[in-house]
Amino acid sequence: MRYIPNTKADKEEMLKEIGVSSFNDLLKDIPEEVMLKKTLDIPTLSEEELTEKIFKISKKNLGFRFFKPLIGAGAYRHFVPEAVKAVISREEFYTSYTPYQPEISQGNLQSMFEYQTHLSRLTGMDVIVPSIYDGASATAEATLMAIRLTHKNKVIISPLLHPHYAETVRTYTAPHQTEIHIAEYKNGLSDLKSIESAIDENTAAVIVQSPNFFGAIEDIESITRIAHKKGTLIIQVIAESLSLGLLKSPAEMDVDIIAGEAQSFGMDLNLGGPYNGYLGSKMKYIRQIPGRIAGETTDKNGRRGYVMTFRAREQDIRREKATSNICSNHALNIVAGNVYLSLLGKNGIKKIAELNIKAAHYLRTKLIETGKFSGFKYPFFNEFVLEVKDKEKIKDQLINNGFIPPFDLGIYYPELEGHMLFAVTEILTKKELDFVVNLLER
Amino acid sequence: MKLIYEKSKKGRHGFSLPEDQFKEINLKDCIPQYAKEEKEKELPEVSEVEVIRHFTKLSKLNYGVDDGLYPLGSCTMKYNPKVNEKLATIDSFVYAHPFADEKYIQGSLQIMYELGELLSKITAMDKFSLMPAAGAHGELTGVLMIRKYFEDRGEKRHKMLIPDSAHGTNPASSAMAGFKVVEVKSNERGGVDINELERLMDEDTAGLMLTNPNTVGLFDENILKIAKIVHSKGGLLYYDGANLNALLGIVRPGDIGFDVLHLNLHKTFSTPHGGGGPGAGVVGAKSHLVEFLPSPIVCTDDGKYFFEYPKKTIGRVRAFYANFPVLVKAYAWILSVGGEGLREVSEASIINANYILDKLKKYYRPAYDRICMHECVLTGREYKEYGVKTLDIAKRLMDYGFHPPTIYFPHFEPYAEETIMVEPTESESKETLDEFINAMIKIAKEAKTKPELLKGAPHNTPVGRLDEVKAVREPKLHA
Amino acid sequence: MGYKVIEGLYYTKNDEWIKVEGDIGTVGITDYAQDKLGDIVYLEEIEKGKKIKAGETLTTIESVKAASDIYAPISGEVIEVNSEVIKEPSIINKDPYGKGWIAKIKIENPEELKELMKAEEYSNYRKE
Repeated sequence: MRYIPNTKADKEEMLKEIGVSSFNDLLKDIPEEVMLKKTLDIPTLSEEELTEKIFKISKKNLGFRFFKPLIGAGAYRHFVPEAVKAVISREEFYTSYTPYQPEISQGNLQSMFEYQTHLSRLTGMDVIVPSIYDGASATAEATLMAIRLTHKNKVIISPLLHPHYAETVRTYTAPHQTEIHIAEYKNGLSDLKSIESAIDENTAAVIVQSPNFFGAIEDIESITRIAHKKGTLIIQVIAESLSLGLLKSPAEMDVDIIAGEAQSFGMDLNLGGPYNGYLGSKMKYIRQIPGRIAGETTDKNGRRGYVMTFRAREQDIRREKATSNICSNHALNIVAGNVYLSLLGKNGIKKIAELNIKAAHYLRTKLIETGKFSGFKYPFFNEFVLEVKDKEKIKDQLINNGFIPPFDLGIYYPELEGHMLFAVTEILTKKELDFVVNLLER
Repeated sequence: MKLIYEKSKKGRHGFSLPEDQFKEINLKDCIPQYAKEEKEKELPEVSEVEVIRHFTKLSKLNYGVDDGLYPLGSCTMKYNPKVNEKLATIDSFVYAHPFADEKYIQGSLQIMYELGELLSKITAMDKFSLMPAAGAHGELTGVLMIRKYFEDRGEKRHKMLIPDSAHGTNPASSAMAGFKVVEVKSNERGGVDINELERLMDEDTAGLMLTNPNTVGLFDENILKIAKIVHSKGGLLYYDGANLNALLGIVRPGDIGFDVLHLNLHKTFSTPHGGGGPGAGVVGAKSHLVEFLPSPIVCTDDGKYFFEYPKKTIGRVRAFYANFPVLVKAYAWILSVGGEGLREVSEASIINANYILDKLKKYYRPAYDRICMHECVLTGREYKEYGVKTLDIAKRLMDYGFHPPTIYFPHFEPYAEETIMVEPTESESKETLDEFINAMIKIAKEAKTKPELLKGAPHNTPVGRLDEVKAVREPKLHA
Repeated sequence: MGYKVIEGLYYTKNDEWIKVEGDIGTVGITDYAQDKLGDIVYLEEIEKGKKIKAGETLTTIESVKAASDIYAPISGEVIEVNSEVIKEPSIINKDPYGKGWIAKIKIENPEELKELMKAEEYSNYRKE
């Protein structure tokens, strides 16, 4: 087989050196009665057969490359530069492993450090953990972190936290009997009063996503004030991180912990993964934050270098007392995010965020003008909710014309049956948006 | 090397942005006063050329599997076939939105379904969830399922048994799932101490998490007894699939009593490690645990594929279904290798490990001097008297052009101390192993004659040994 | 390699020491413990006035490669904490029995001292 260099003759020679007469002599610890008696019934394909088979299967998918999504809901189609793909296709990045030996892993470590810097500058947070699996698991980890920090066991969750994130929080906290209180929403925004009245002495944290699941920009500063007044931590969840290019940073609003999804920073949709979650916090909370962090230091000759640091939080050292079990993360997407943000730079990140917010506002305005749609009016980034008359018709119209229809909100918000969550990113041109308006006007 | 920030120059950029066609939209009207950002977000300003050169230079400071032997124990750093990378980036997979209707993602679903079936065949489990993102994520999923299983039966079991040789993720995952971790000692042959297990396994205990072969590279010869002890007290047996590379086509976890398991597709199934991820930590369950799998799972009927939501699911463990491209790569690998090839993979990896063990045991006394499976655990104990630590041996190995093995793990007294855990995988030729063995023997000699050479190593790397103490005492976590 | 053990102190199996003066016990970790940990980088803050039972976690100590809990050798109330070592935990590496003391506990029940090891016993316990 082409992936195994040693031939039969090599193996025989090696067995002889080892001092056994046959391979089976190496399996003496395995009870005879459970050994497989026959070969696994799996065919072997040549490279060409395999390629053809998988390409054929792929044809059963919609030709997504040429369908532009009007859907986001936690997964956004943004333009990914070829430069990102070129860098993460380098074997030194994709075939290496966790930088346990920093002397031959400076590429990964420095990249982690640079990416931490990017995110720290975008969010203002002192500590950035550059990779947790995704936004949902990062939110769950942030929740557990807040529970450990406060020794309290209740959290208040905005109803406009991504429903899948909220479910993940439930999964992670279920064994710890954490009380989860879902606050209320009003006009597409978290209802501050319902949050305030739910906070009690046992509340560890208030968890609010902004922009929220409906795309609305929450008044995080006011929510933070309420939480802090009552001695509770605030966790801001950021599912569309591109918004950071334009919106006030969490640190400026005195947020304690952030949990984010960096998919928008150079990652393709890929049916939902791998994306890349991240965490951030104030420095004083560093010993309770999960996940790998890179730090700067020097070698014996005073040369600058990078290492994984604050390692005593991690499972391989702390075992059951670790801040999390996380080991492998989505490290390659740190590199992707680093390249993406480096290409964009200071002005690019602002411009692309502007394009998103403007395009989305353009579409909403035009759709409202048709008189066929109504909906919440709230400040939003690149997603908005509209009530539609015939959602099935709209879905068909859009798919038949090369667009992935918006998210059907009735699935998670029964009271909003007939409402759809539209997303608009920079990949949609004005011409295409005008086309959509024309189409839906009919 | 310079940071990307140190290459920044005002006015440069590396991004192709579409023109702003929405001049009539006033930005000021879009952002509420409370969210207006006053400060600049100071990202670097560099051109595409500079970015590419920067990252190319960075990449050259790394060592990957394509560079050479990467014998990290329990990490299975095998070759990552190139065709798999290509197949995972087919457009209609790459651009598929996770909320797209099932009828538009039949191809993706088929791959997921068939991969689950192939893995079931290989491990003798009944159904797989492909959702978990990594091994530890799979562990958490599995122990949460165990927890839910007992809750469902109205049993309160709050303890989980874990051998002292286990990966740190096992106790960490159990603690996250709310279990009290009880350690089981290893015996003098490197397996679970059966008497100890019998004493500890009681009706308050949910079960045992076991890696088999374990982290000292040994298949637990008492596995059937172990399963019996755990099951006779109503407990469940969890299989940590980190070391499955030893067992393909030889023995299946589901045939030796395991109830639930996770597999690391980025280990046994050849998907790349990506500098620490993404991989996939898929979870397989026996029929009595299938209804607890995280939702959704992929099923089929009459040629159509669809998602199903198991009745008593533990819920979601992440936002969407899976690390899909990783699944494509694993699927492609299994079909490239085939039934016969799978056994060949394990055979080659076991022979390679035993060959290294045989050649090096004179120089680095093994934790257990026995035939091993796919990895061997040596120790650097005898060089302590020369003032040489195992760490020094590992660092010196870099000067010979190899990535060092896993060191100081596993660690449990009195058998496994100063450990050097070598997993060559099936990807290495006898010649490469001989070169590695020669380097290790040279280092053993240097340890006695020129210990200073080891203590100052590595000498030929982009940076020397880095001051990890300083990194914590004077933390600098961003530029 | 001999580890320093001081006469007149009491020792635990987890490598803490306690020096008794009247009803006050000064607590630290032994030379053996600091050596096994390596360069100590962090000692978790201890709440003054905290009531603690023998064997309970007093605080957590961290080096680059390890972390462990420090357990109270005896029950009582924490009446003083060495703020110097919280600030600069590497002092423990340099002087584990002197400047590297960690906390003072007002002893509740002197009988508990009988459970602890004397210097010679501890010396044998940690003989390699």
